[in-house]
Amino acid sequence: MSEETERAELLAALHAAGAASEDDERELEALLEADPSLEQLVKDFEDSIAALASSFEPLETSPRTLGKIKKQIAQEKGGVLARLRAWFSKP
Amino acid sequence: MIAAAQSQDPAGIVAAMAAGDSGSALNAFYAQYASMVLALLMKMLGSRAEAEEILQEVFVELWKRAPQYDPARGNVVAWVITVARCRALDAIRARSRRYGNRQSEYSEGDALVTEGGRPDVLVSSTRWHQALRQAFQRLSAEQRAVLELSYFQGMSHGQIADTLGLPVGTVKSRILAGMRSMRTLLPVIHRAMRA
Repeated sequence: MSEETERAELLAALHAAGAASEDDERELEALLEADPSLEQLVKDFEDSIAALASSFEPLETSPRTLGKIKKQIAQEKGGVLARLRAWFSKP
Repeated sequence: MIAAAQSQDPAGIVAAMAAGDSGSALNAFYAQYASMVLALLMKMLGSRAEAEEILQEVFVELWKRAPQYDPARGNVVAWVITVARCRALDAIRARSRRYGNRQSEYSEGDALVTEGGRPDVLVSSTRWHQALRQAFQRLSAEQRAVLELSYFQGMSHGQIADTLGLPVGTVKSRILAGMRSMRTLLPVIHRAMRA
């Protein structure tokens, strides 16, 4: 493995684990631009850690939560429509 | 209605939400992912009330961001987890600003306990979760500790080094080793996802 590939692997790991600094992120971005094949490595790391995060015992949610979510979405939908209506009704 | 929608491909459900379906598509999406997201939020926040509150925010945000979901950039689970984790980290940071930083209170016992048997649980444990848990038990305690602090507590490698009293280089090596191990588990993960 070349030194550059090793560096890219470390940066991809830090990125996926959420531990990368801003400098690390910029460096990784530059490496990805230079070699797009590295994207698969980043995606593999991201999928792995997402799987870890999804592996906890699932918890029963409150039956009211979905209702609250729908209510909020309906309000936001109404808000968007109201803004669109107001915009179209401008003289 | 929900059962019918559950059999759909997850990306198809997200596409339906992107088209504005806040009925059956949202029901199916919630049925499929809410209990998983709540478990992650509980893990990160440690408070049921706060986790339920953030769960609501997460699903509203996922619904709003559905048009931006790109299957080429990752699977639906990864997308859902990313959004949930970001909202949980926001809540952790807000709490830190309000009550001071509790990150230094980390102890080994906090690290990625994925075993079952918690009293406040539970939807039935699926083969998917069992397979994942078995796979992740293969990580060493040291690898789990650094991943716990980075991914679930939002710490940078420098903060982890301070918290654990380790050189930054050691922290980076452990993160890399942990991520490499997890990458080798991907075939197991993919098999579990298909089960």
